[in-house]
Amino acid sequence: MKIIKSKGPEIFDIELEKALLAKNRSLAKANKKRFDRSKILAIDIMGSIGSGKTTLIKAILKKLGIGKKVAVIAGDLTTSIDAERIEVEGAHVVQVNTGKECHLDANLIHQAIDRLKLDGVKLLFIENVGNLICPGEFPLGAHKRLVVTSVTEGPYMIVKHPYIFREADVIVLNKIDLAKAMKVNPSQLQKDAKKINPNAPFIRINALSGIGIPKVINALGLKT
Amino acid sequence: MHEFSISSEIVRTVLDTVEKNNGKKVLSIQLEIGELTLFNIEQVTFLIHELFKGSVAEDAEVKIKTIKARIHCKACGYKGGIRSEREDPFKHFALQTCPQCNSFQNKVEKGRECILKRIQVVR
Repeated sequence: MKIIKSKGPEIFDIELEKALLAKNRSLAKANKKRFDRSKILAIDIMGSIGSGKTTLIKAILKKLGIGKKVAVIAGDLTTSIDAERIEVEGAHVVQVNTGKECHLDANLIHQAIDRLKLDGVKLLFIENVGNLICPGEFPLGAHKRLVVTSVTEGPYMIVKHPYIFREADVIVLNKIDLAKAMKVNPSQLQKDAKKINPNAPFIRINALSGIGIPKVINALGLKT
Repeated sequence: MHEFSISSEIVRTVLDTVEKNNGKKVLSIQLEIGELTLFNIEQVTFLIHELFKGSVAEDAEVKIKTIKARIHCKACGYKGGIRSEREDPFKHFALQTCPQCNSFQNKVEKGRECILKRIQVVR
């Protein structure tokens, strides 16, 4: 910080040059280091409201069947409904309520880690707040970022939000059983995804019935 | 909506800095926001003014300069700016395409910053 005297005797310019988004990015890096030290694999689950983020986490946990070795940070505006839904699967869950905020940020994750019992935990899911815009701007320090979208969101979800899909390591299309009823062509959505992010695997699933879940587990590098 | 969190952080930083420097009144704050951040400048300005109310920065002028984006396209090698809003009304959603070859495979070199440059205060 530099203070420069300007116009008049008591007016000063305080030079700050403070990079505000960079602060979140550096906190995210610190979170990642902390996960690495504890040998925890952290996965950020993003997606719109109602796309099936919680159901996907539940389905993965059920398939993995490793209960207490998994922790989940569940982000939500005000309720703990999702945390309770996930807790049933035996994972250790910490609820983070963001209140007015539409996304989790690295600082909230940093605080949540303090509240989590990480002894013996090998895998951490971070369920972001339902949103396809803001979370893209705020990395949390997770090793992998997965975006869930679903056929009930219509045929344009991916082309309309290229930013978040570009940042994803894995893209999941949920509720595949409803594609016909919704008149949505999953192959078109896959094409959209591949154009924006050719490297991310695109997996069709039905989180409720478990279809495609082994492929998601595989794409995330998890072992059953 | 993420404008609220960034505006709160700007306001908090300004008021902390002013207090540490025994400022009596904030005349202006100067920000630089990259054109590839997903921030709506009008909303940020409005929120900062709202959050300043009742503080020493209540009457401060909020100056925001946009930092032009610069991308490097991995597909065709293009280096330079992106399409203007007039050429592409969905710029903020389609912001990563290369203006030369429309590829998404490019690296953002500039335009994702949000910097609080300086604060002008009366002591």
